Amino acid sequence: MSSSDGHGDHSHGGVGKYMMVFLALCGLTTLSFFTYSRFWPFQDTPVVGWVFMMAVSCTKAMLVICFFMHLIWEANWKYVLTIPASLMSVFLVVALVPDVGQRTRYYAEERSRYASDYEGPEEEAAAEAGGEAVSAPGQDAAPTGSEGVPVDGKGTGGAGAAGGAAKADST
Amino acid sequence: MTHDTHGGHGDDHGHGHIKLAYQPGLPLANGKLCLWLFLSTEIMFFAGLIGAYVVLRFGVPAGTWPHPHDVHLVEPIGAFNTFVLICSSVTIVLGLEAAKLNQSSMARLWLFATFVLGSVFLGVKMYEYNSKFSHGIYPSTPRSLIYDKADLNYASAVRQRLNDLATELAKKASAEAGEGQAAVPSEDQKRCEDLRDYLVFWAEQTAARSEDPARRQAALNSLAWFIYPREGHKPEKFLAAETKRMEREKTAITAELTAISSEQKSLDAKKAELEKRDAAEAGEELGATVKARARADEKALAANERLRRVEGWLGLVPELDKLEHGINDAYHSLRLPIHIPSGNMWASTYFLLTGFHAIHVAVGLLMFVLMLRYRLDASNAHLLENGGLYWHFVDLVWIFLFPLLYLF
Repeated sequence: MSSSDGHGDHSHGGVGKYMMVFLALCGLTTLSFFTYSRFWPFQDTPVVGWVFMMAVSCTKAMLVICFFMHLIWEANWKYVLTIPASLMSVFLVVALVPDVGQRTRYYAEERSRYASDYEGPEEEAAAEAGGEAVSAPGQDAAPTGSEGVPVDGKGTGGAGAAGGAAKADST
Repeated sequence: MTHDTHGGHGDDHGHGHIKLAYQPGLPLANGKLCLWLFLSTEIMFFAGLIGAYVVLRFGVPAGTWPHPHDVHLVEPIGAFNTFVLICSSVTIVLGLEAAKLNQSSMARLWLFATFVLGSVFLGVKMYEYNSKFSHGIYPSTPRSLIYDKADLNYASAVRQRLNDLATELAKKASAEAGEGQAAVPSEDQKRCEDLRDYLVFWAEQTAARSEDPARRQAALNSLAWFIYPREGHKPEKFLAAETKRMEREKTAITAELTAISSEQKSLDAKKAELEKRDAAEAGEELGATVKARARADEKALAANERLRRVEGWLGLVPELDKLEHGINDAYHSLRLPIHIPSGNMWASTYFLLTGFHAIHVAVGLLMFVLMLRYRLDASNAHLLENGGLYWHFVDLVWIFLFPLLYLF
């Protein structure tokens, strides 16, 4: 096995240490869960919670890597294997940001209409007013047809509602 | 090297023989080295997946990413699974310690405990997946009921589904009734028809015909809300306003019907009077009266139809309002399309991430089963060490997945 390994196999680890790490991991999990409770003080700024949870996760990850995976007691080869891989993964994520992460910033108006729950001025008004603006009674009286107006799949979203209204002739 | 330049030839006189001793490139066993190389590629694999999730999640149109409760994610269950995996990491590391101390039966026990904990994790995962599947949350279309937008396309999909169901149930009912007998529509069939004729009809008509853009969208949102309510999206004000409007409408139609029926009566009276007179004299007027009477009948029919819709809506909506978790939850067989903003993106990323993680867990479990066959003493401790490294990595991935998926 690791004959040339300078450290003896029994010089590290130990049940006591593992138990400490275990308790720390449980405590940290509770901490990140705490951000979800109503006692968490930064309810209005979710970013604080996210950063906090990621910090907690990184701490947990380091605990697992260092103690359970024994990396803290390994020779310097550990840096050769872990650091490049970690750097590459960071680059990978950063490389995705301009194209994927910021995709909606460059949407044309037309494209955003088909995006998930895009809130154009009309929909925003709907969300805020909750449809309070009620027009005169009878104006939108249900027509006599027994089936709904023919609705095509093309008229989607805000454009769909608007297009539908344009199509429908006043009764 | 210096030897060669000095002596000129290899076999110099008894001193400085180069002794070649085997020196490994890295001070660790081959198996462990391979496992670490594999893990470093795994780091990049999961970093790619998690990174893609993060950029997709934060890149969606602002505020549309589903709230965990909207997609039936239960945080305590996720936290429990985290706890299970942490425990399993401890048990495998204790197994390794026992193996190093040559306590092979103890090591086997710890390994078995790890196996059980891993299975518990997978079991909980299955339960969680099932709770998504039962609500129509699937990663892709043939089964997924998720629509990203509550628009006319969505409403027509709901109508289509209800229509299909009603037709199917009607066929079944008539088959059961046998020939020559009138089929009795089942409760389910009536429900489908009511929903289609009153709720969906109203939403589609309002969305297509209302002059007010806010009202158009609000009607579609309400339809989506009745089918699959999402926290904090109840269109309370709108529905209250709409109920008042419908009541006014009802009064108006009732008044109209009274007017029509008095018109019909007077036309009937006129007709009877004209028929008494000479046919040549009153023929033209009689014809006009009969036509007017037919027009009045048509108007009455139309008004009655409108009244049916309005009364149906007024009867149905308070009933639906009482359902705590929406139509789909109350009547599972309906499986109507549901509206979850960015829901499809959510489902894709969630199932991809947790699915790949679950595959890793399953592979780990298989590995444990294979390892249980060995005598886990000091000479085989490297098995537990390498298996443990893999297992810790699986735990590590979950440490990031849990907050990202359940708490963000």
